[in-house]
Amino acid sequence: MADTVSTTLSKETIIKPPSSAPLSPLRLGVRRFRRHRMAMIGLGLLLLLILYISFGGFVSRGYCSPIKQNVSGEAWANCNDTSLKLNPPSASHIFGTDVIGRDIFARTIYGGQISVLIGISAAVVEVILGAVIGSLAAYYGGWVDSVLMRFTEAMLNIPSLFLLIIGAHFFSGGLPTFNFFGRELTGSVIVIILIIGVTSWMYLARIVRANVLSLRERDYISAARALGASDGRIIFLHLLPNTIAPLIVSATLGVANAILAEAYVSFLGLGVQGATATWGNMLDGAYQYLDTAPWLWFFPGTMILLTVLGINFVGDGLRDALDPYSTRHL
Amino acid sequence: MSTYILRRLGQGIPQLFIISIILFMLMQAFGDPVATLGARTPTKQADKERLRRMLGLDQPAYVQYLTWLVGNDWRKMDLDGDGTPETYGQRRGILRGDWGNSLVTRRPVLEMIGDRLPNTLILMITAEVVIITSSLAIGLYSALRPYSLFDNLITGLSFVGYSMPVFWLALMLMYIFAVNFRRWGLPYLPTVGMFDPEVGKTPAELIKHMILPVTTLAIISIAGYSRFVRSSVLEVLSQDYIRTARAKGVRSFQVVLRHALPNAALPFITLIGLDIPFLLAGAVVTERIFAWPGMGRLFIDHTARADFPVLMGILILISIAVVIFQIITDVIYSFVDPRIRLG
Amino acid sequence: MKRNLYLLLSLVVSASIILAACGGAVPATEPPAAEPPANESGASAFSGTATITFTQEPDNLNPLYTTMFFSGITRDFWLKALWSFDENNQPVPELAAEIPSAENGGVSADGKTLTIKLREDINWSDGTPITADDFVFTYEMIMSDKNIVQTRYPYEDYVESVEAQDPQTIVVHFKEPFAAWLTNIFSGSPSAGQGVLPKHVLQPVFDAEGTIDNAEWNKAPTVGAGPFVFSEWESGSHIIFKANPNWSTPPKLEQIFIRIVPDDAAQEAAIIAGDTDIGVFLSSDQIEKLEAGGNVKVVAVASGYTEGWYPNVNPETAHPAMLDVNVRKAIALATDRFTIVKDLLDESINPVSASFWDNNPPYNSDLKPYPYDPEEAKRLLDAAGWVDSNGDGTRDKDGVELVLRYITNDRELRKNVQAVVTQQWSLVGIGADLQNYSSDMYFNGYNDNGPQAQGLYDIAEYSDVGSFPDPESSSDWLCDQISSADNPDGLNWQGYCNPKMDELLKEQATTLDTAKRIDFYKQIQQLMYDEVIFIGMWKDPDLWSVNSRLQNVTLSGASPFWNAQEWETAQ
Repeated sequence: MADTVSTTLSKETIIKPPSSAPLSPLRLGVRRFRRHRMAMIGLGLLLLLILYISFGGFVSRGYCSPIKQNVSGEAWANCNDTSLKLNPPSASHIFGTDVIGRDIFARTIYGGQISVLIGISAAVVEVILGAVIGSLAAYYGGWVDSVLMRFTEAMLNIPSLFLLIIGAHFFSGGLPTFNFFGRELTGSVIVIILIIGVTSWMYLARIVRANVLSLRERDYISAARALGASDGRIIFLHLLPNTIAPLIVSATLGVANAILAEAYVSFLGLGVQGATATWGNMLDGAYQYLDTAPWLWFFPGTMILLTVLGINFVGDGLRDALDPYSTRHL
Repeated sequence: MSTYILRRLGQGIPQLFIISIILFMLMQAFGDPVATLGARTPTKQADKERLRRMLGLDQPAYVQYLTWLVGNDWRKMDLDGDGTPETYGQRRGILRGDWGNSLVTRRPVLEMIGDRLPNTLILMITAEVVIITSSLAIGLYSALRPYSLFDNLITGLSFVGYSMPVFWLALMLMYIFAVNFRRWGLPYLPTVGMFDPEVGKTPAELIKHMILPVTTLAIISIAGYSRFVRSSVLEVLSQDYIRTARAKGVRSFQVVLRHALPNAALPFITLIGLDIPFLLAGAVVTERIFAWPGMGRLFIDHTARADFPVLMGILILISIAVVIFQIITDVIYSFVDPRIRLG
Repeated sequence: MKRNLYLLLSLVVSASIILAACGGAVPATEPPAAEPPANESGASAFSGTATITFTQEPDNLNPLYTTMFFSGITRDFWLKALWSFDENNQPVPELAAEIPSAENGGVSADGKTLTIKLREDINWSDGTPITADDFVFTYEMIMSDKNIVQTRYPYEDYVESVEAQDPQTIVVHFKEPFAAWLTNIFSGSPSAGQGVLPKHVLQPVFDAEGTIDNAEWNKAPTVGAGPFVFSEWESGSHIIFKANPNWSTPPKLEQIFIRIVPDDAAQEAAIIAGDTDIGVFLSSDQIEKLEAGGNVKVVAVASGYTEGWYPNVNPETAHPAMLDVNVRKAIALATDRFTIVKDLLDESINPVSASFWDNNPPYNSDLKPYPYDPEEAKRLLDAAGWVDSNGDGTRDKDGVELVLRYITNDRELRKNVQAVVTQQWSLVGIGADLQNYSSDMYFNGYNDNGPQAQGLYDIAEYSDVGSFPDPESSSDWLCDQISSADNPDGLNWQGYCNPKMDELLKEQATTLDTAKRIDFYKQIQQLMYDEVIFIGMWKDPDLWSVNSRLQNVTLSGASPFWNAQEWETAQ
């Protein structure tokens, strides 16, 4: 009996008390994120996907018989051998071939690059527009606020489909091809990015406005103003950084929405033009073969699904990690 | 209460004006409705000019807007192209109840909308009822058993449904339940349309033909809403008054139904209230695939033809509905939550 | 509270269902004149419904106001013309008593007068007799400048007058002999302007409103002339035609139900499931899927269409290479259309074509399509001075790269062909700049930014036809039809001008002797072939699907539903 007590006592005295330094909000956030199981799964998925689309190109190669050459990379993705059209997955084409005999595995890689590019860029456009409009409206108040908010509400009331179609008409008209990290891309990629970005900034603007309104009256802002800081400095260096949480969550979910929107826009025929593959227009091309050639839609569809799933999980986790008012218990 | 409603209505009117101006401006970027009239043999230039004059399309944009707003029966128009206005117009303008005529079919806009609106309403309202009841049920059950197998399964499926492009889901459902079930000798559903011509337009036919489109719409939306209800209910369940009720011995079932659900439903009501006006817009892709003659198809068919009276008509209708439903939602809110007072 | 909400919602739902079930259709403004006659047992003499899917909704049913194919083909049901065309595209008299010809005096010796005798026993569906006055009225409506009709062809440019010699005889005076009269004078072709209007219904409208642009009849033509009568048109959903018992050849079916199904894949599902009896505008890669069930047959009907490439040879807008006939020849030789047709289509249905009129017998030539010969293509290009001097993979000359703007509309098949062709061209050093336009823009005229009309291309691909079954299509290649800012209505979008071609085209247009005309077309086609003004891709017949449930369906190319009165359902 005495031994147990003394051993226990000695154990207790050896154990150090936990560090008493408070964790910074960032460390706290990261820790909460890491405890969110789904978010970690999502993060893992996304990392795998990024690896896939970045380095998969090194694996894609083959003999393109119509031009009698060995090709690799994007040239392999574009190689069409119509005699091999609509082949189910096999050794030489692990995801099968499409309607004109192109390798689907290679196309999901290069298509993924475009889809993810569109997703991220559109989210960036959305965040910039939403943050700027929301913070300007909240900071200046008065008639600036009225006008900007009425404009935002008006845009919200208009069905997004209408905005998409109008955007397509407005922006189209021979934007030149441009070079992006070694790939020749048609101008229609920029058009899509702009269209999706311009039709989805409204929710974020409202949230940013609400946040900035509550921050505007804080003491440190008045202090900054008293010290003579310009409006721009105040907005961009003080106010916006403190509303970073909804911005990050919005941006993350915006990427997911943009990737889905790209598929939707491709279905309507307003998507990326030309022979450039994207997951969206691969799905659109597979539409007629739903029954007879399921590999045409299965692989790009699964890519979209996993990407959007991963982003949504991560977004969920970020919302929990960064939102100080969340009462979720893990 | 009534002052609140009147005030909100009053605020809604300038909002409608702003929306109509923005829309009108955007539509100028669309292109020429007359240009899309020609098929393989384009209509002669002189005829197109005449048509433009007749439809008032040769006027500058702001004049066209004013015509749409207040009509042109009080001024003369130059219909024969000789430079001197000689005929009075026939339009009275939307403020006087004349929503205009479609540039494509020449039929009154209200008539065209009236043709399609019932079809859209029965589809969307049915879908909305299914979505609301299912989301509440699923969200509630998931919240009561968080992180259980059911919860995780439903969460996973929700995300999958949420991430699926609607056109793909629609066609998939059509193939499975209409084409393949029939092939396999199972009881099957029809593929397209609102009714079977040999049977006629009976309620039974409508219901049978509605099943697939409603299911498509429901799956996509339940995914998002049930998650929302779930997190809402979870938040409410952790509140003190719930714990108090439980401690007082109120049965769990009662607690949920009479205390948790109403409070959790409040933000849900707001969400639904904001979405209802857009039911009028129909579901463009679903209607197209199932050949359901609704507002969504009207919208997209006439967008391609730059038929701005019809488009403006639909969009103004939706905007009016948004304003009205915002007010209704606020009023319902104030009834449900006694803490809220409208003034 | 919640219970009331649910009650309210279910009431709204039920109310809407009842509303939708009752209303929504454009009602016929006049009830059909006669009820189907009852036989002794009291049942109707007609039975069965034929369901047809249209992938586009007609915009207008009045033939003067629409050029849509889907509007024109309905006229076989409810607005018969002087004659229609059978499955061999031979004319079959409908309202006319016989087909006018030189032998029976219908066509005058100088070819400038057409005399048409009408049948005596034909009535509009409300009982009023159909007479020559209706035809004269139709001509007046087309020519009146109070009506904004789609087209005045051919009346404006070729016809002097149309008169009613007596109630049963129509006389048409032409300015010059007009070879294409069979297809274009009140014929059963689905093109614009072909059909007769009921004078007793529309004259009062014209007198009262000053125009027939907005007549009720345009949307709800309850007075018609055919085995079926218009019954209802619910916008976006369907159009119904019911049997007309008073027609000289009454039908067997009770009604024709046309359902609008805009989505191609949904139409396919409906065909396979048997929810529709006739499907339209299918493509050859769907045949296997559709016929797998055993009760659907896919029928290919030659309607004159040929898919082809139209090079831009307008000196003002074309790529300098395209102005050299040897370069054009090289392009044709460098494109393996044979493999494309074999792999992407069906060789037996869509063989590679050589000329524009391959699918329009008896005016077709016996020219063989340009062969696939990339080596010869390379030789031609080298000889023409186009070599790859800067090693970038495409040939060039005088600093200009041989990169061609290859445009088409946005149909999936054409996009696929573009991708395959790009790869084929890369083997001989030709570069491709692919562009796709939406169908409403692609065929626009000069002032409406039509890319072809404005010459913003090098090769344009689409499927076209003359005045089927007549070969007439001259305006595409006449010198004075070249489209430009001064001539925005011009239809010669290729900018081709050759006096010899002009002469041939003008001669054939006024030659009524078929044998002579065939000879002219042989010369026209040889000239086009030698100058490489048209590169044939494939013959493009219409593909229809017919369910075995519907019998006696014989589709024709020029007037598809010409024998609708014979159709019946197998029951």
